[in-house]
Amino acid sequence: MARLSMVESINTTLHELMAKDDRIVVMGEDVGVDGGVFRATVGLIEKFGEERVIDTPLAESAIIGTAIGMAIYGMRPVAEIQFEGFMFKAFDHVYSHASRMRNRSQGLYGVPLVIRAPYGAGVRALEHHSDAPEALYAHVPGLKVVIPSTPADAKGLLTASIEDPDTVIFLEPKRLYRLFKEEVPEGDYRVPLGKARIVREGQDLTIVTYGGMVAVCEKAAQHAANEGVDVEIVDLRTVWPFDVDAVVQSVTKTGRLVIVHEAPRSVSISSEIAATVAEKCLLSLLAPIKRVTGYDVIPPLSRLEEYNYPDTERVVRAIHDSMQF
Amino acid sequence: MRYVFRLPDVGEGITQAEIVEYLVKVGDTVKEDQPVVRVETDKAVVELPAPTTGTVVEIPYKPGDSVNVGDPLLIIETEKEEAALAAPSAQPAAARPAPEPIPLRPMPSEAPPVAAAPSARVLATPHTRRLARELKVDIDTVKGTGPHGRVLDDDVRKAAAEVAPPPPRAPTAAAVQAPATAGFDFEKYGPTKRIPLKGVRKRIAEVMVRSVSTIPHVTHFDRADVTDLLTVVEEQRALAQSRGIKLTIASFVAKATATALKEFPILNSSLDEETGELVLKEYIHIGMATDTEAGLMVPVIRDVDRKSILQIASELQDLSRKARDRSIDLEDLRGGSFTITNVGAIGGSWATPIIFHPQVAILCTMRAEPVPVVRDNQVVIRTIMPITLSFDHRVLDGADAGRFSNYVAALLSDPMRMLLDMT
Amino acid sequence: MIDKELIQVIDPSGDVVDEPALEKISQEDMIRMYRFMVLTKLWNNKALSLQRQGRLGTLASVRGQEAANVGMGMALGPNDWFCPAFREYGAMLIRGATLKDLFLHWSGDERGARPPEGSRMLPVCITVGSHLTHAAGIAWGAKIRGERIAVMSSSGDGSTSQGDFYEALNFAGVFKLPVVFVIQNNHWAISIPVEKQTASETLAEKACAVGIDGVRADGNDVIAVYLTVKRLLDQARSDFKPALVELVTYRLGDHTTADDASRYRKEEEVQSWLKKDPIDRMRNFLTKRQGWTEEKEAQLTAECNEEVEQAVKDFEATPNRQPTAIFDHMYAEMPWHLKEQKEEMLRLLGSQVR
Repeated sequence: MARLSMVESINTTLHELMAKDDRIVVMGEDVGVDGGVFRATVGLIEKFGEERVIDTPLAESAIIGTAIGMAIYGMRPVAEIQFEGFMFKAFDHVYSHASRMRNRSQGLYGVPLVIRAPYGAGVRALEHHSDAPEALYAHVPGLKVVIPSTPADAKGLLTASIEDPDTVIFLEPKRLYRLFKEEVPEGDYRVPLGKARIVREGQDLTIVTYGGMVAVCEKAAQHAANEGVDVEIVDLRTVWPFDVDAVVQSVTKTGRLVIVHEAPRSVSISSEIAATVAEKCLLSLLAPIKRVTGYDVIPPLSRLEEYNYPDTERVVRAIHDSMQF
Repeated sequence: MRYVFRLPDVGEGITQAEIVEYLVKVGDTVKEDQPVVRVETDKAVVELPAPTTGTVVEIPYKPGDSVNVGDPLLIIETEKEEAALAAPSAQPAAARPAPEPIPLRPMPSEAPPVAAAPSARVLATPHTRRLARELKVDIDTVKGTGPHGRVLDDDVRKAAAEVAPPPPRAPTAAAVQAPATAGFDFEKYGPTKRIPLKGVRKRIAEVMVRSVSTIPHVTHFDRADVTDLLTVVEEQRALAQSRGIKLTIASFVAKATATALKEFPILNSSLDEETGELVLKEYIHIGMATDTEAGLMVPVIRDVDRKSILQIASELQDLSRKARDRSIDLEDLRGGSFTITNVGAIGGSWATPIIFHPQVAILCTMRAEPVPVVRDNQVVIRTIMPITLSFDHRVLDGADAGRFSNYVAALLSDPMRMLLDMT
Repeated sequence: MIDKELIQVIDPSGDVVDEPALEKISQEDMIRMYRFMVLTKLWNNKALSLQRQGRLGTLASVRGQEAANVGMGMALGPNDWFCPAFREYGAMLIRGATLKDLFLHWSGDERGARPPEGSRMLPVCITVGSHLTHAAGIAWGAKIRGERIAVMSSSGDGSTSQGDFYEALNFAGVFKLPVVFVIQNNHWAISIPVEKQTASETLAEKACAVGIDGVRADGNDVIAVYLTVKRLLDQARSDFKPALVELVTYRLGDHTTADDASRYRKEEEVQSWLKKDPIDRMRNFLTKRQGWTEEKEAQLTAECNEEVEQAVKDFEATPNRQPTAIFDHMYAEMPWHLKEQKEEMLRLLGSQVR
């Protein structure tokens, strides 16, 4: 096993998968010669050629539109949108076609497409470079949304996403790209979609989170442990459709729930989790559900970014509120 | 057969059109797809072609008339058999056979439990409330020691240790049972004919099975002397008729029942089998069982206690008609808190009605007939209407039912008292 | 290369203006095309009638565009792909869609939209112009995988104003994709005439911006359409040369049954195009040159009418799907939330529904 950062893990995974499956093409802006603006696709063009590692013109709608055509034809396109904030030009294709072609053709054509995009705040970037739009995609019937939180998961989830017969929106927390390294399994490795990971087990309170917030929550849980509160952390990994069993089991056990994400709070993934818990295990609740999220604002530029981004302190306060209720 | 060509929705969401001109007249022979009428919608003037070949036998409108989608535009006598014709419908989807009918479902009462006033309810998390139920502690009697007086799990546990457990929860029989007739060979003793239980009939069967398999029924018999009441009905009939209302004894029965339900609210309740709580309803919505071609339907008259007898009679007339011609809104079949059924028109002396689950009682009135009775030690002929009341023995006892039934009979026997007592 | 000259083989009166071109097409194919045009028209007229009787939903009439439809459909090779918009019934029939499927779809049943197995045809695309990128993508996939085929999209004049039109053409040009973008210029995008859609003199010349070929053909001349599109598809297949082709035609009917074209266009304009009716033109040509007779015409019409009537019967006898079918094609494998929702529907509808 090699110790890799998340961006190295994604790069390695693409190398390994492309070598095994010649239906896979990587396409997007600056993904070829430049190796991607975050270097996630570095070295691919040298190994697989410009026919399979495609520097496209600057046109997000056509990148996803043509990738849909390729996927229908039988390819396994992995399309990169350079930043999550640029995905909206292609939203029509995602919303109107990728998610619908299977139904429209009554099962004749699926769209096995992976749309990769760097995602979320934390790297002091420009406007449109710090957004967290996962709920928009989760809301579209027919899509899957995946957000990894570790280098190893990035490999396992990307592999499962590329192998999935349906369209997967694969959002890569850009603050995690180089934040830390860990052992990443070599060779064939997949993490099934729709399966959450219990990051740490606990008896007193459940935190449901994903992506860049997992590390923040781990710190908060450590802090709580020092105070005698035993926190369980559920990392969703697949944000939609999420692992309902894992969430319900954990909340049934602990009776307390804090949901943490960086995306705006209202009508969000946390809304959906809270609603699901209310439907399925309300009678287990010892305290009201708490949410620690980004506010319902435009992600601020770097000087105020940290105030919008949930940090350890906000999560610990939510744990206190819940425990002291 | 006669084919009724109805105005279709010719645009996207058109509801009405004006006749511009008919291109044919009564007696004309028309061919399928031949234009027969021009109509103008708020989007366009369109020509509508005949859906079938035949002779025009009726043109119900004239140019300038306004027609709603679904109204007959033209009636054509055609030689085609019904099966060969497209469904004469305004909705394209309905033009094709449905996979299987989805029955009109008179749902059992779905009234939400009546919440006590917020101030009366103790504070507790759902988890604590569940614990209280499991430990058979009435949480409203527990003093909370948590923040803002909230009842905590520990409070409930302490209370459970102190208080003797209340009588066990009423048993709930399994609603679903294996069909007792499965595998039964009906043909063994002679030929039979099978009619699938569908639609309303099927629904009735389900509701009835559920009722008798869940509710321990007891039926109480009583008699009301309606001699004087019938006189009142006769006297006021003309007045009612002048307002287009057919006055019958049924509306007096409904009013008397509503008055009695106010007096005995426990008969206007439901048992929440899940929580073991009795749900007392603060409204009086009375279902009036109605015999229809499709089977029994129970349209509901709302707030009977707040309506005049004429209002009740008028609504009853309206709802029964809708139930019979199947135009009744599903909502009008829902939400009843008590049911009255009347076998009077058909005859018979006594019946034991089945409660409309999840209500707790049902009142049945029989045919009123002149019978000799003793009054002041004299045998006199009075018009007597037998009434029977089936009730849920989990919730009520014979004495409750008897008192309720007596009261209803007393009101029906004495229109003046009814006038004084009713609200 | 941009060629703004209108390619024509037969003029509106049915006389041949390009004799050598005729040698490239067999009499059998000519009659086949004529038959599909008649069938398309009869299906279309029957469908309009059914709509006005309340037996079909909203429908887009293809009347007037039968030659463009059928010419392009005939030009496709067996392994080529076809990406239609929603006014291509003629081409879809040639690609294997059945009359019954078409009725079914426009009556509001998704099963009718399912392309036949192996037809290499996409379902109709309602969002204007987006499928041009899908066509480019399919062509791209085939090119990468080494399959020598061509892909054809069809869309209307309105689609040329969309960003996706330019993006798809641009990608096709940059990556030399074997794709032919057919534009049926029927002169109207609902109420907007083509003069208000663009300041370009022609739609074909828009290809110039992305460096691919652009040509124009008389869209009411089925032989011109067939030969032009076929030549471009052949080039795409053999030389990876993408192209844009503008078929100049006319929408004789309303945009859809929910539209009233008399609100925005003059009857005289419609009348002038009726004189160029593609079906009359082909019949005149066949009569003058190919021994077509009134008996043959009567027989053909009777056969096609019978096919259409049979399709109406078949379509109207098709039972509705179970309501729970709406959940079945959302994902390859149904996730928990849809299973729950399907169960919920089953509970509401009772045990009669599966």
